[in-house]
Amino acid sequence: MPAIRAASKRKPPPEGFSDLEEDLLVFSNKMKDAQNAPTDNIPKHQAQWPVFQISHQRSRYIYELYYEKEAISKQLYDWLLKNGYADALLIAKWKKQGYEKLCCLRCVQTKETNFNSTCICRVPKAQLKEGQDVQCVSCGCRGCASCD
Amino acid sequence: MLKSTYKPSPGLLQPLPPGWTEHKAPTGHTYYYNATTKESTYKRPGAVPVPMDPATSYFQHQAVPQINLSDPVVANAFMAQYTAPPPQQQQHGGQRGGFGGPGGGRGGGFQSRPRPQPVDKPRSKVAIPGHDPWILVYTKYGRRFAYNSAKNASYWRIPEKLMPAILELDQARIRQKAAGTASAEQEDGKATASSGPVPRKEQQQEQEPPQHDYDSSEYEEVEVTDDEGDEEQDGNAPKRRRTEDAADDGPVEFTEADIAAQLAAMGADYGDEYDGYDEEMDEGDEGLPLSDSDARELFKDLLNDFNINPYSPWDKLIEEGKVIDDARYTVLSTTKARKEVWEEWSCAKIQELKEKRATEEKKDPKIPYMAFLQEKATPKLYWPEFKRKYKKEEPMRDTKLSDKDREKWYREHINRLKIPQATLKADLKKLLESVPLSALNNQTMTSHLPPQILGDIRYISLDPQIRDPFVEAYIQGLGSPPAADERAQEEENEAAKTARNERRKREKALEERERAVAEGKRRQEKKLQFERHRLRDEERELERAMHVSKKGLQSQLAATVVDKPAAEVSAEKNREAIR
Repeated sequence: MPAIRAASKRKPPPEGFSDLEEDLLVFSNKMKDAQNAPTDNIPKHQAQWPVFQISHQRSRYIYELYYEKEAISKQLYDWLLKNGYADALLIAKWKKQGYEKLCCLRCVQTKETNFNSTCICRVPKAQLKEGQDVQCVSCGCRGCASCD
Repeated sequence: MLKSTYKPSPGLLQPLPPGWTEHKAPTGHTYYYNATTKESTYKRPGAVPVPMDPATSYFQHQAVPQINLSDPVVANAFMAQYTAPPPQQQQHGGQRGGFGGPGGGRGGGFQSRPRPQPVDKPRSKVAIPGHDPWILVYTKYGRRFAYNSAKNASYWRIPEKLMPAILELDQARIRQKAAGTASAEQEDGKATASSGPVPRKEQQQEQEPPQHDYDSSEYEEVEVTDDEGDEEQDGNAPKRRRTEDAADDGPVEFTEADIAAQLAAMGADYGDEYDGYDEEMDEGDEGLPLSDSDARELFKDLLNDFNINPYSPWDKLIEEGKVIDDARYTVLSTTKARKEVWEEWSCAKIQELKEKRATEEKKDPKIPYMAFLQEKATPKLYWPEFKRKYKKEEPMRDTKLSDKDREKWYREHINRLKIPQATLKADLKKLLESVPLSALNNQTMTSHLPPQILGDIRYISLDPQIRDPFVEAYIQGLGSPPAADERAQEEENEAAKTARNERRKREKALEERERAVAEGKRRQEKKLQFERHRLRDEERELERAMHVSKKGLQSQLAATVVDKPAAEVSAEKNREAIR
């Protein structure tokens, strides 16, 4: 994220930002709430789930606007990425086959797990046991395999 | 299935009798207080009882908190109430406490809670075509019964002979609905949904045995209810009283097993509905002719009607839930399908918006800011104060203007406020004069001044009360728009142009002709010259022939022999040249 400059020296955001402004504000408010929510009674590993989820939703929102609906310009998309409205690395994964619905980057980081495997949420529903309900440790994802 | 969003409003409760007021105790209970008698009670006082009319008193008794049986949850709760009392309760009648209010109706016997009893009433009636005395009556809860006005008899189970006519009626109704009224659809859905819970209640409340069918929830045609509606129809209230008493005291001939089975069946029903509400509706309502594309269009209409921002995410749409209350939300059965349609719609909408924006002219962001300055700026505030005070305002947040510019204009404006009015007026006049007549003329409305005026600091520095009349006066004094003159001029130009063209063409033609003439002349001259040449040549030859030397005829003959071919060659050459 670039340095935040004084409003007087700031360049205006690219054309079309005003269309998304409100929704992005909703996301950022949600994010603030999630960040400020007390985590006293929550298991330690769950404390950051909402943050991951909101960041995923916001990235997805921008990704869809740019790649699927083609509603925003390249400049605006780049500007949004640069200003931290979306996770560029996560979006980079979504473009790859098999990772279209990836929930977070931690879930495909095999080196961080004991058995060098991906997260349980990456396992397709069909391969799970009947009625097995999973929720991954890193972000609370319930399954993000592409074939689900 | 989508839960009905209908909530029984407290306003539907029976109104308090005059003098009574409703209050909330600190504990959260509601209680009622009568200011005149200084009496207070937790029980809701009903209307003043009118005991001489059994029918009305019956109504009073029935007037209970309204519940919506189309809501499965409510319906289940409702039924659970009836299953609760143990069977022996049915034996003794007269359990009812002193009647009156809905709250007090069932005074502290085995049930402290007021038993909610729906009040169903006939709402509309339709004459069944082809069967004269018969009328199809719809009740408030969407149920219906057949009524024979000649025999004064009504039947929940619709007689066989009326069946085809009623089917016809239904189809007509559905067709009408498909034409666009969506809310009616939902009501029907509710009606079908409510056919489950209904029979139970009726079994307890009414004993109208001949037409009654205990498994009626399985029937589509047999729609049953409490006898409320009938009562009004046949009006034999005393009997009703009796039956009601019996009914009130608990389920009659209805065992636990029955109830369990019913509940299970209902649960299954609702489960189905949950998955495919509209399919259910289709079948339940004798096949709604709603094609897939129609459904999609309907859903898109819904999105349009609610002014959904096409840029917003789907989650937001769902979270807000505005759309969910609309009946058209259910025309698509699954959320996945809805999302798909929404995606399609938003893509199209965004494209549309883009095109629209491309065509419409750009508005100068300066204009709203200037108007804002005029309204809000005072010499009492420095720029930082002003900025802080109004940072939430739209013109102050507009990203098209830089903060530097804003500050500059603010300072300039504040400085100009100190200048005497005469100068300001002169400045404004100068500004108005600088605008060409095509933009500002006596046809210009004061509300639609050209942007170069509205965005100028000189325009806003004068108080509107002085400025507006001034500008108006100035505009009045201006000439008419040059647009008409211009057009005339243009027409004139056109004519001149065509004339000029014509002339040029003529000149060209003339030139051409002249050239042709000149050519002809030249050729003639050439010919003349050539002829002259030839004449001279011949003369010369003749001369030579005349001139005979002393060598005699021999030499002369030799000369002619030599000469002749030469002459011939030259003649031929000449001929060629002419050609």
